[in-house]
Formats: sequence, structure tokens, C-alpha cells
Amino acid sequence: MAGQTVGVRAKEQAEARYFLVALCAFLALMLGFPAVANLWYSFSNFTFHDLTGGSFVGLANYQKAISNPNLWAAFGFSLKFAAICMTIEVVAGLLLVFILHPLLLKRPWLTGILMLPMMVSPALMGVMYRLILNEFTGVIPAYLALAGYPINFLGRNNVYMTVIGIEVLQWTPFAFLIMLTARQGLAGELEEAAAVDGATGFRFNTLVVLPVMIPTIIIVAFIRFIDSFRVFDHIYVLTGGGPGNRTTSLSIYIYKLFFNQNFLGEAVAVSIMLLVASLTLLFAGLRLAIRRNGR
Amino acid sequence: MLKKGLLAAAAAAVISTLGATTALADFTILAWPGGPAEAALRKVVDQYNATVGKENNSKGSLIYFSRDSFFDKMLADAAAGSKEFDAMLTATYNIGKYAPFMEPIDDVATADVKATFPQSAFDTQSYQGHLYGIPTDLSLHFLYFRKDLIDQLLKDDAWKKKYAEIAKEKLGMEMQPKAPADWTWDDFVATALFFTKSINPDSPVPYGTVLQMKNLLFNIMVFEGAAASYGGNWLDKDGKVIVDSEAWRKALDIYKKIADAEATPGDSNSYEYAEANAAFGTGKVAFMPQWSAAYAELIDPKQYPAVEGKFDIIHLPAGPEGIKTHAHTLGLGINKASDKKDEVKRFLTYLGSKDAMTLYTKEGGQPPVVDSIMQAVASGRPDMLMMSDNAGKYGFVPNGGTSAEALGVYTNMAENFTGYWNDAIDQDTAIKNVVTYMEGVFKK
Amino acid sequence: MIVRRRNLASRIGTALRWLVFIVTGFVLNLPIIMTVVTSLKSTADINTSPPPLLFEPTLDNYREVLGAGNTDLPGYILNSIVIAGGGALLAIALAFPAAYAMVRYEVGKSWLLPLITNLRAVPLIIFAIPIYLMYQLAGLLDSWTGMILIECVINIPVALVLFVGFVQDIPEEMDAAAKIDGASIWGTLWHVIFPLSRPILFAVLILSFVYGWNEFLFGLILTTKQAVPVTVGATFFVTSYGVKWGATAAAMTLGIIPPLILGLFAYPYIGKSMLTGAVKG
Repeated sequence: MAGQTVGVRAKEQAEARYFLVALCAFLALMLGFPAVANLWYSFSNFTFHDLTGGSFVGLANYQKAISNPNLWAAFGFSLKFAAICMTIEVVAGLLLVFILHPLLLKRPWLTGILMLPMMVSPALMGVMYRLILNEFTGVIPAYLALAGYPINFLGRNNVYMTVIGIEVLQWTPFAFLIMLTARQGLAGELEEAAAVDGATGFRFNTLVVLPVMIPTIIIVAFIRFIDSFRVFDHIYVLTGGGPGNRTTSLSIYIYKLFFNQNFLGEAVAVSIMLLVASLTLLFAGLRLAIRRNGR
Repeated sequence: MLKKGLLAAAAAAVISTLGATTALADFTILAWPGGPAEAALRKVVDQYNATVGKENNSKGSLIYFSRDSFFDKMLADAAAGSKEFDAMLTATYNIGKYAPFMEPIDDVATADVKATFPQSAFDTQSYQGHLYGIPTDLSLHFLYFRKDLIDQLLKDDAWKKKYAEIAKEKLGMEMQPKAPADWTWDDFVATALFFTKSINPDSPVPYGTVLQMKNLLFNIMVFEGAAASYGGNWLDKDGKVIVDSEAWRKALDIYKKIADAEATPGDSNSYEYAEANAAFGTGKVAFMPQWSAAYAELIDPKQYPAVEGKFDIIHLPAGPEGIKTHAHTLGLGINKASDKKDEVKRFLTYLGSKDAMTLYTKEGGQPPVVDSIMQAVASGRPDMLMMSDNAGKYGFVPNGGTSAEALGVYTNMAENFTGYWNDAIDQDTAIKNVVTYMEGVFKK
Repeated sequence: MIVRRRNLASRIGTALRWLVFIVTGFVLNLPIIMTVVTSLKSTADINTSPPPLLFEPTLDNYREVLGAGNTDLPGYILNSIVIAGGGALLAIALAFPAAYAMVRYEVGKSWLLPLITNLRAVPLIIFAIPIYLMYQLAGLLDSWTGMILIECVINIPVALVLFVGFVQDIPEEMDAAAKIDGASIWGTLWHVIFPLSRPILFAVLILSFVYGWNEFLFGLILTTKQAVPVTVGATFFVTSYGVKWGATAAAMTLGIIPPLILGLFAYPYIGKSMLTGAVKG
């Protein structure tokens, strides 16, 4: 009997594999081939004039890539940018959840209004901010100046904070939404339990709600971190990575190496290193997560 | 229900995709986006389609990419042998880069076409002895200035006194206001400081000038005139990189001085053509170095009522080596991968004709045509006359500026020089980075 | 007394919550509001500094971007609809059965799931270049098919994670019951799991559609004229010589309306599915 069950199970598993075939084939075609092509490119000296040719140059591209200080500057920018944005988004999102939860419980439709920014294409968001932050024709600086607070949001001293601000304003809604949903999921039982203990308001939120929400917060932070790390669109549209390369993220760096500066091999080498690094890191991270879950 | 809906949608998507790939019989022209030139070229293509094109059963349609990534996109497409466009943009500063992907069009330059343009215009569209494009637009830089403000500065004794004080205090020089036609770059700086409210509370405008300092290659072309007027160049006669020189440092300092004194708007590091126009056009600055194409826009009171009738143009300020301005032409040539080369050649021949160029100029284009055509259409277009005059007298193309590497050099300069102006790196580092890059690419 | 005081306190609390809501809503949506406002201004009003609060609204900008000419905005919007819709549907078709197999039969769950999930963390720009060449060879450049395929790649990681999270929560008894009735795996998936998964299918459809709609980089690199999506098309007005802010604002307004409307209705589903998918999956 037991043996028969195992037999059926094995047969079904074999059948279930077919469900994966289409997905695997698709990804192998769309990403596997480019990955292999990238690998070859990274070892060759191909140029725009000869995209399919080029000859083997060993590790020269990698050597050049690593020794370029701008790579590390861009890497540092992306890392710092992602860390700052993630922190602000999670903290602001959490605060908003605590403050607005009772309000939105009664009028759920209000939530939608706060969700609008994350539905807008980041590239267009960048253009919109370019429109409203212009020192003369933009509304925000113009009225701040009239009110006696002239600020150049895109000025050389503020541009860094501005690109962070834009990312935060666009994606805090995302953090807010996920955490709000989690908060709403635990509405009933928690409040009852807490009411018995007499915990209310701020204490209730920090002592009762917060600990329960920690897994959600970690996931949200993780998603926001990797998304911000890849940032390209709004910065490219707004500052072009400047002034100098002060707002050049890793994605912009690769784009410029390839398209503007014609260092094709170097650009691809950076890509490969990034791919390997992120896969290694993520697999390691996932191992840890799985082990912690006791599986 | 859902299932059927999904299937139907998927089927519809597939079918319409197949449909979308089969249309297309006309030739496609990839041209420079926006401004008066775009509007004018549309008119010319319409005219062609209605006349010569119709006779030959051929029809042109225009496409555009966005300006910021125009060359990246065109390069990728051309290099990959794309047939998406048949005619493509050519520019003096990157003809060398695109020549391998283009068809020489020496045979298009018929006697008729040769009568339309001076030889110098053809030279700007040629590479290694072959013509690659029909020149459609000449581009260089003017000083745009507010007549009302400058006039008062030249007349008003209190302003003159203040001007001298500011020059003495900030620049350590004894200076008097001058008319823009007689300016050196020192006058440019001093006047910029004078018209900056934070330095001179009596200034009627908040900033003296507006400089384009976004990390964008075109902005270096605007800057190039200043460097050249101090004798700066890319390469010397032997092909040696000579950017690490007094000339480049002097010119870099001019921008830096103005940026540091905030005599240009504080967010100039994100400015390019459009933002500079907005600053000048809303009446917030007294003068600016800007592309010649801006004239046709700023003169339109529907767009910029604040400066209506109040501004004029003149050549850029002079340096020790005289007056210099970056100059280039844009044009249209043939994509090597195109299947419709003959059709495009017919169109280009038409484009180079006197009639087409006359129409083009009337509609707002700025072609480098021969004087006789220019004179005939130039009434009401003072910018046209000044352009052809300035291009001949002050036009400057750096050594190596038409090579395959030119675009990369401009991009690298943009990154490093804007970095210097905006305090991201110091001057020595900026120059060293540029020289290292240039030596790397020109050595090949 | 105590009751009344608490009442007052809670009223003030509610008022403060409203204040926070209104300020947050305004600040977050300011760029969108101002874009819509700008799209209704004349060029002269836009170029007036400081920007006038009161102005005579005009539809000229919309007339300009929708009118005849070579900048084919209606076409770009159609492209976006097809590309985003096709990309979303294809991603669902590929990821949903796979998620089911992974959850119920543990095939590929240990290696394929993490591998695909991690794709989300990789900046896709690194594939842009070879994909460009591949498309060139395959004749997929500037085509709906090509763009649908790439949007599908972008959507698959999220779709898969969300599906896995959801299917895990479906009690296994449901499958077992179907199997006793003699249903095959396919039958079970189609007749049992699929109908139960409508909420998540809806959420993934919307989310993928919005992601696909908003994608910029591949649209920029892989299209020229036939398949240009509206995110890229709207920037044609932006960076051209002489930014036409009015036209740009009008184009952007038209370009963001579909995802905004979808988002407004679908966010609760998105929130729930993200939570179950990402946190539990």
C-alpha cells in the first residue's frame, strides 16, 4: 500500500515536471543565451563596428573594470542610496500604518489615494519632478521662494538628497501597503488580547504590533533594498548621473560605459561580476533564511 | 468565462502582432528631434511626398528619438544593421563614428545640390574624402542678452559705479561696463556678477547668466567656445593630447567662478538647453551663451512673453585668441543596411535643391546655404545672417573633433568638467581623467 | 467626566490622523497633480515665473499631442496596452502551472524557485546588450512580440513568488478530493486550483500590467517606431530641442491614466497577494 502511494507520487512528480518545461525553456532562451553571450563578450575585445566578432583577450576587460575607480564610486552610490531609501521608506511606512490604520479601517477606499505614486512609471516620475522642481517654472521652488525659503532642489548641494527624496516619495506607498495589509490581517485577535492587558496607543503599537510584524518588515526592507539598488530611470532622466558622477548608480554606470564611452567589453565584464555577486549573495542569504525556518 | 476571455485576448494579441510586422512600404527618416528644425523638416517631407515622391510612388515618413539618448540608440541600431530607418542623422562631431554604418552619397551632390551649399558646408558632412550627409542645419552659439538691462548698465552712472566696485572687489580688476559686442570673457564674468542679486541687491534679475552644467555631452560643446578662445584644443599637430593646458584651465575657471559665486541659478548642474531657455525666457537672467536654435523659440511671444522685444543676439565673448564658437552641421545621410537606398537618394537630392532649402529656411530651419539663397529668405531672420557670418569668422572644430572618438571625448569631458564645476572633483583630477581617457582612445 | 475626556481625546486623535492623511496624500501626489495642471496651461502660462495659481485652462496641449503628426501618441498608448497586457498574460501562463508543480510536487522548488526569484535582484540592464543582438538576429526588434517577451521575463519572478505563496495556502484536501474523483494533475490544476486562485490571478495580472506599462529601459533600447511604448514616447516631447512642457505634461497625463485607474481598484488585491507571496513564500 505504502509502496503503491510512493509509486503514484513518483509518477505524478514526473508529470509535474512538464509544468516547468515551458518556463525553463523560456527563461533559458531569454536569459540563458544572453548570459552566455555576455560571458563571451566579457573575454573579448568586440566593438560596435564588429558586434559579432572580436577576439579573445583573457581577463583584460575585468582588470580594466576593477581598476576603474568610477566603478567603486557607482557601487558605493547604489549601496548607500539603497540603504538610505530603504530605511526611510520602512520607517515612514510603518509610522503611517500606525497613524492611519484606524482611519483606513473605517474608510478603506482612502488607501487608494496614497497608492497612486507607485503606479507611475519611474521614468515619467523623474520627468514630472524635473518639471516641478525647476527653479523658475517649477511650482515648489517658486512658492517656497515667495514664502522666504529659496531652495534649489537640483542644486549641486541638494541633488543627492533630491534623488533620494523622489525615490522615497514614490515607493513609501509600497512599503506602506504591504505593512498595512499585514496590520489589517491581525486586527481582531491582537486588539482583544491587548485590551485585556490594558495596552493602548503607542505602547500597543510598539510592544504588541511591532514584534508580530517583523517578518513583514524584513521582507519589505529586502524588496525595497534590491529595487533601489537597481535604480536607473528617474536619476537618468533627472540628472544624467551628474554633477560629475555624483548620482551615477551602477545601472547608469554600465549604460554609460557601453553606449557613451564605447568600453563595451568593460561594461559587459561589470555586468557579469554583478550577476555573479548578486546570485552568490542571494543564494547565501536564502540558505540562511531556509535554515532559520527549520526546513 | 475568465478562461475564454484570456484566450481571446491572447489570440487577439498574437494576430495583431503578425499584422503589425507586415505593413511598411515607405522609407523612414530618422531626424533630430524638436524645435523649429523638426517642424520645418516635416513641411519639406510633406512637400516631397506631394510632388517628387508622388511621381515616383515613394513616400517618406519621419521618426525621432529623444535627445538625451539619441546617439546611443542610433549607434546600437546602426551597428546591429537595423533596417528601422533608411535615412539617418549625421553630425559633424560624429561622422567618423557612424561612417562605417553609412552609405557615401557623393553621387547625390549633383550640380544642382552643389549650387545650394558652399563647399565648406559639404566639408562638415564629409569623412575621409566621402560625403555622407546633406547638411540641413548649422549650429553654433550666440550670446543672448537683454537689451534693456545692458542699455541701462551702459547709461546709468550709479550702475556703472557699482559695476566697477564689484569688478574690483570680486575680480581685483579695474573695469567699466562694455557693450556685449566688445566683451571678453572677463567682461562676461564681471557683468554676470553685477546682475546677480546676492552680490548686487539692486539687480533687477536674480542671476547674471545661466550656464548649462548637466552631465551631458552637448553642454561641453557650449563650453568649448570659451576654451578655444583661450587657445585650447584637443590635439596638437602631432596628435598629442593638449587638454592639460593653461587655456583649458582658464576656461574651466570661468565657469567655476560663476558657479561658485552663484551668478548662475543654483540648480544649473541639472540644466541643459531647455532649462537655460526657461531661465532666460522667464526674465530671470541678463544674458547667456546658448545654441543658435534658441533664437527662433525665444522670439515667439506666445512662448516667452517675459522677454518679448527685449533681447538680442551677438557673437560669444572674446579670449586672447579672439572669438571662437563651437560649430557643427547636422544633416541626413543613408543607412548602409537600408533596402531603399535609391529612394532615399532621390529624396536627398530633392532635399538639397534650392526649392526645398528655401522652404526649409522659411519654416524655421537653419541650413548652411549659399549667400544668395540666404539673402533671399533672411528677412525677419536676423539669426540666419549672423549665423552664416559667425560660422565663417569664428567657427571652431577641435582637432579630432570629427573622428570616431569625438562623441566619447565629449561625454568624458561632460562627466569630469561638470564634476569640477559642481565641486565633485578638483580641477587637476578632472583634467587628468580627461587626458587619460583621450590618450587611451586616440592612441589606437 | 472620564468618558467625555476620552471622547475628546479620541476626536483630536482622529483629527490629527486626518491631517496626516491629507498632508501625506498631497505631498505624495504633488507631481501627478502638477503634471495634470500643467497639461491644462498655455505655453505662456507655463513659462511665467512664479507660476500663476489662476489661469485659463486650455486643451491645446492635448490637441497637439493627439493631433496628426509623426509623434503618434495614440499609437504609443495602444502599444503599451498590448505589450503590458501580453507580457502579463504570458507570465501568468508560464508561472502559474510551474508554481503549482513546485508547491505540490516539490519539483524544482529547491533550485529553480530561488534562481528565478533572485532574478528580481539583478539589474536587468546587464542583459540588455545581448538581448538587443539576439532580437536583431530574430527580427524581434521594435515588435510587439519582442516587447511582450521581455516584459514577461521582467514579470516572471514576482508572479512565481506570489503564486507559490498563494497555492501553499490552498488546503491539500482540495486536490485530494479531485484526485479521488479520478482527475489528472492537469485536471486538478485546471478545475480545482485555477478557479480557487482567481484573486491572485487578478492581482498578478494587474501588478504585471502596471510593471510592464511602466518599464522604460528596454522600451528605450529595443523599439524605434512600431512598438514604442508610451513611457518612452512621452519622453520624445521632453528632451527634444525646446522642451514643450505643456505637450509633455499632456502626454504624461495620458500615459499614466491606465495604471492609475487599475491601481486605484486593485491595490487591496496587490497588497494581500504580496504579503502572502513574499512573506510566507
